[in-house]
Amino acid sequence: MRALPALLPLAALALLVALPAAMTSPYALHLMILLFLAITQGESWNVLGGYTGQYSVGHAAWFGIGAYVTMMLLQFHHVAPWWGMWPAVAAAAASSLVVGSITFRLRGPYFVLASIAVAEIFRLVALNWKDVTNGAEGILMSDLPPLQVAGHVLTDFTSKVPFYYAGLALAVLTIAVNWAVHHSKLGYYFQAIREDQDAAHSLGIALTFYKNVALAISALFTACSGAFYALYVGFIDPATVLSTEVSVQFVLISIIGGIGTIAGPVVGALVIVPLSEALRANLLSDVIFGLHLVDETSPAGLFLKDNLAHAHALIYGILMVVVILFMPEGVLGFARGLLARRRRGHAPPVAEGSA
Amino acid sequence: MPIFLQSVVSGVLVGGVYALIGIGLTLIFGVMRVINFAHGELLMVGMYLTYYAFTLLGVDPFLSVLLVAPVMFLLGVLLQRVLIQRVLSALPQNQILLTIGLGLILSNTVMLIFTSDYKILSTSYSSGSVMLAGLSVSKPLFFSFLITAAITAALYAFLIKTDVGQAIRATAQDREAAQLMGVNVRRMGLLAFGLGTALAGTAGALISPTYYIFPQVGGAFTLKAFVIVVLGGMGSVIGATLGGLVIGTVESLAAVYVSSGLKELFVYLLFLFVLLVKPSGLLGKSRM
Repeated sequence: MRALPALLPLAALALLVALPAAMTSPYALHLMILLFLAITQGESWNVLGGYTGQYSVGHAAWFGIGAYVTMMLLQFHHVAPWWGMWPAVAAAAASSLVVGSITFRLRGPYFVLASIAVAEIFRLVALNWKDVTNGAEGILMSDLPPLQVAGHVLTDFTSKVPFYYAGLALAVLTIAVNWAVHHSKLGYYFQAIREDQDAAHSLGIALTFYKNVALAISALFTACSGAFYALYVGFIDPATVLSTEVSVQFVLISIIGGIGTIAGPVVGALVIVPLSEALRANLLSDVIFGLHLVDETSPAGLFLKDNLAHAHALIYGILMVVVILFMPEGVLGFARGLLARRRRGHAPPVAEGSA
Repeated sequence: MPIFLQSVVSGVLVGGVYALIGIGLTLIFGVMRVINFAHGELLMVGMYLTYYAFTLLGVDPFLSVLLVAPVMFLLGVLLQRVLIQRVLSALPQNQILLTIGLGLILSNTVMLIFTSDYKILSTSYSSGSVMLAGLSVSKPLFFSFLITAAITAALYAFLIKTDVGQAIRATAQDREAAQLMGVNVRRMGLLAFGLGTALAGTAGALISPTYYIFPQVGGAFTLKAFVIVVLGGMGSVIGATLGGLVIGTVESLAAVYVSSGLKELFVYLLFLFVLLVKPSGLLGKSRM
């Protein structure tokens, strides 16, 4: 792929920084925040799943730890989240190392299974340890304390704008982490492990050590995204932050875009977020009615109207199957393949014959 | 002591059904090396079939096995043809993701059609019990165990005695060699996925009188099926039978002596422990 001019990302960033000044609709801001969250999730997973080739389907564990520790400190111990998120992130990184040193003795499908089991263990603990986590009731945030720096109130979190900038910062940070991984010696180790574990091992790469490094980096930023989610939504329970569906979402964002690339999770987030929002806001059924495919008042129409809003998990499933079957390298890989084919198609016939 | 014996007995009875779930999964894995993450969801489909056969047609849940098993077999063959066959040579991780996607599709389609309300299938004998050597045993569990035992025995006989069964085992042992010997491995794949699906559906039918029926019930069973199969050794049918009985007993004991909310926690911890200590399982060859 040709290197993008360095100015392009900077221009995009400047645009995104200026955006809230021009865009005052809370819903538009909400969409952008969800997009940043999804990018952060996808890029975090990508370090482990994409670059190191360890498909974790248990990232809900680190997401949930980030969300729970931040929220518990805030609600039960009155620790402001910009302090409380550090223990949360540290807890996720530390526990990921413990888990990693156990599960990285396994390979391939066995690792996938173990990662799911670990996330389930965390979910069951959160569900049953009621004194600490409030169990299935979850935790509802009362109010965020105003953020003060040297006596000045920076923000009291009454609008979505501070969340917008926090989300943007997280997304940019995780993209930068992926860029660093992509271009560093550490990243080459990761990719060597992904391509051929035994060959990497024979070249002196300590497999378990570097897999653990990748997992810790991944878990750390996943926990950040969990803390961000908890504070933005203001409510968490085991089903929304620790379920297998959450883990699947992490994987999906990356594989839709194309794993092991910096831009992949961004593309994946751009597909997933508008799609699930369109379903939630019933836009899809409006389109179906608008095209007169189904009459709005017919039984089928009423059924669609009632149910399509809950169909986002179904869409996840369909996307997953379609991507694996028809574009296992993601949208980016698929587009690259199309481009290459077109370029070959446009080549003069002589060149084609000699090729 | 009676409490201990009582919980071991009910654990073994539940374990019989678990064994059925595990055998289905291990059969699919053995023949195609594909890990089916939609296994619990297939079981859930079996539960719904049984529920509606009971409420709409008045078919007894245990009798409905005769209906559920062939329907699920056909569903399995269809899934194999349309989906699984296409990824047989893909990365194992991609196969897993495909079946996870399939599971999401199944559970959410069922949710859209039948809503996520919990359904209860109550028969005249649902809360009845029989006395066995001084221990009281739940009637539906006892019946389902008897049926499970019969099905397992028939399956063993099929796999060991018949030509088709031998061809399945040969494919599981060495795909290429089996092909060279004239075994149609593609057909064995269809057969294995069909059988595995039918077994999952049958297990769903058998547990429907004792469990809540709802679209998300499958997930827990998928993971449990893996624990069972890993415990017994991936690909080993006898191992899966043994694994099912062990997991049933562990769950039952954990529910009685610790807390019923935490019984699954013990199952997953046991799973991690087995993966670490003996990843090849009780009866399997090492496939790290």
